[in-house]
Amino acid sequence: MAWKLDNPLHTMTSEDQNQKAVELWEAESLGGITEDNNRLPQPVLGLLVLTIITAFLITFPLWGQRPHAAMYEEYIQLMDSPEVKDLPDDKAMQFIVDKVKASNSKWSALQERHPLEMDDLRMIKDQVVELQKQGARLDEYTIVGNKVVIANFEGNFIDDKGTTRRERVQPWWDKGYTIDIVFILVFCVAVMIAVKRLPPFTFKPDHGKHH
Amino acid sequence: MFKYLFAKNEDIPAGAAAVFFGFSAIVWFIVGTGLGSFNAAKLAFPDFIYGVEMLAFGHMRQVHVLAVILGWISMAFAMAMMYITPALGNTKLWSEKLGVWNCFLWNVGLALGLFLLWMGVTSGREYSDLPWFIDLVVIFGVLFPLGLNVWMTIKTRRTQGIYTTNWFFGAATFMVMIVFLVGNSPEFFSLTGLTEAYLTWWFAHNVLGLWITPVAAAISYYIVPKVTGNPLYSHRIGHLHFWSVVVFYSTPAAHHLMSAPLPEWLKSFASVEGVLILVPAIAFVSNLLLTMTGKWKMFVENVEIKFTISGVLMAIPLNMQGGFQQTRAINWYIHGTGWIVAHAHLALLGFSTFLEAAAVYYGLQTLLRRKLYSLALANFHFWMLLIGFTTYWISMTIAGLIQGAGKIYEVPYIDVVIAEHPYMIARWVGGTMVFLGNCVWLFNMWKTARAGTVIPAGRLPHELAYER
Repeated sequence: MAWKLDNPLHTMTSEDQNQKAVELWEAESLGGITEDNNRLPQPVLGLLVLTIITAFLITFPLWGQRPHAAMYEEYIQLMDSPEVKDLPDDKAMQFIVDKVKASNSKWSALQERHPLEMDDLRMIKDQVVELQKQGARLDEYTIVGNKVVIANFEGNFIDDKGTTRRERVQPWWDKGYTIDIVFILVFCVAVMIAVKRLPPFTFKPDHGKHH
Repeated sequence: MFKYLFAKNEDIPAGAAAVFFGFSAIVWFIVGTGLGSFNAAKLAFPDFIYGVEMLAFGHMRQVHVLAVILGWISMAFAMAMMYITPALGNTKLWSEKLGVWNCFLWNVGLALGLFLLWMGVTSGREYSDLPWFIDLVVIFGVLFPLGLNVWMTIKTRRTQGIYTTNWFFGAATFMVMIVFLVGNSPEFFSLTGLTEAYLTWWFAHNVLGLWITPVAAAISYYIVPKVTGNPLYSHRIGHLHFWSVVVFYSTPAAHHLMSAPLPEWLKSFASVEGVLILVPAIAFVSNLLLTMTGKWKMFVENVEIKFTISGVLMAIPLNMQGGFQQTRAINWYIHGTGWIVAHAHLALLGFSTFLEAAAVYYGLQTLLRRKLYSLALANFHFWMLLIGFTTYWISMTIAGLIQGAGKIYEVPYIDVVIAEHPYMIARWVGGTMVFLGNCVWLFNMWKTARAGTVIPAGRLPHELAYER
């Protein structure tokens, strides 16, 4: 099983070992089945690369971001404004949404993705106000139905008023993706070694030599 | 079968175990799809056999699922392993007697396990519903003897190389035991909470990923080159397929629990790996379709190729759907709906069933040395399966989208029930077509064994013309 590493993309096996493999390949019939030594077609290779890129792009938490309390902070502030108080619920909600949108809120995209009604806002208002009084980071709290609860994300350790705790903001990139990258790299290297230990793909077996 | 249980190994004809497994698989397929049709009727027509506790949906659902997985699918796999593994090693099965006992105990154990499930003795965990003592029987009385026969047959082969199919057979029989041991650990060790939830879905995911999918694929690696006479397109792509199954299919279990409070990094990791299941799928489909080069007319003319290539083609929508439905944004919508039921049936009744049916058709003809009794009945079976399955899949996908909308927009439950009612009827029609097709299949194979044209020595079944 001699290794040859001077041209690893061609073959990683010495010529005599490859020659033995070729002879076996052409002489041996596996229950009447023979095999070719074709390389992966390039369009299929492209498809695999596209799949790996897509796997990361489509799974970001960004696309499944949960609604958090900070997204609705501006909505709740506007609930008590004189313009809103005199309007019926549907018009009041529309007024709030338009006003916040016009102010270029940093949460515009998420607000559009998680629309609310006035009744929803009323249910969470007191809880959000209470958190504001405590000086809590509202983006660490998730809206679950009519409750505002601490998010279950566990990020890096941060210093919070002299104590160390986990950050609870939903991450857009976390160690799960880093592990994925390690897996993919190890997989690619292992499969490259496995196939490059075979005779190079330029070898086309002659199936007429079988027993 | 019984006369061989206590016969000497050398007195048992080669292929006996495979034939018993083949017919057992078909019978369990009829039982499983019959139960499926019954259950679907209860969902479509709520007054159908109403008030009989033992026939309630809650008693019957898991019996249907496990009859199909451990009866039809796994016994068809055992059948395929019993004749393909030795054939690829130019040898005989290591122990025909072990194979016959394996088949006997498998049937008895499964019947007992399903009876207990029907009686309500269950772990209560989906897919791993069997109680722990039956799990132990499955591991040590069913899977280990099967694996032992496969590994020893590979070890005693008379070839130097090992063909791709046997890599999958050897590895999958080992991995499925690990899946059963680890996946059922919540019951062995009374684990609860998130650990139980995660391990339940680790089991369910890997029964598909490390047992059903790779073994079904391995069968097609045998059937297509064998029947077409073409060489497998690429040994190299076989490597890519095998190792990508091991790496990418074994890891995404957490994507079944995207809304659960599991660590977020685990979900991110699993979600990427879930899309990367497309890597083995692309390798598998491209290798098999390229092997068909120059022989595409057999897709129409040859029943084994018709079943196999239909199964291979179904791997495309199966893995596209599977890869994308588990991402956070899409899973949020379709989780817990009929969409998932449709996807599960695409995997088990679509992709894998078509590949296993090909193995059983080909294996029984080869081992019995009898040409298929009726091509017309085989074609009827194929179309009943294809149309029945497609009707099921489309109707349940639509029902799932309706249920998803109902869930997200908080539509009253009864309104969702009314909206999905036509699709529940379509589901029952599709499932019943599959059941009826399988009854015809059993008749056809029984007649093949009794009255099929004898295949002369040295010839293969597909080389002979049909006489009916």
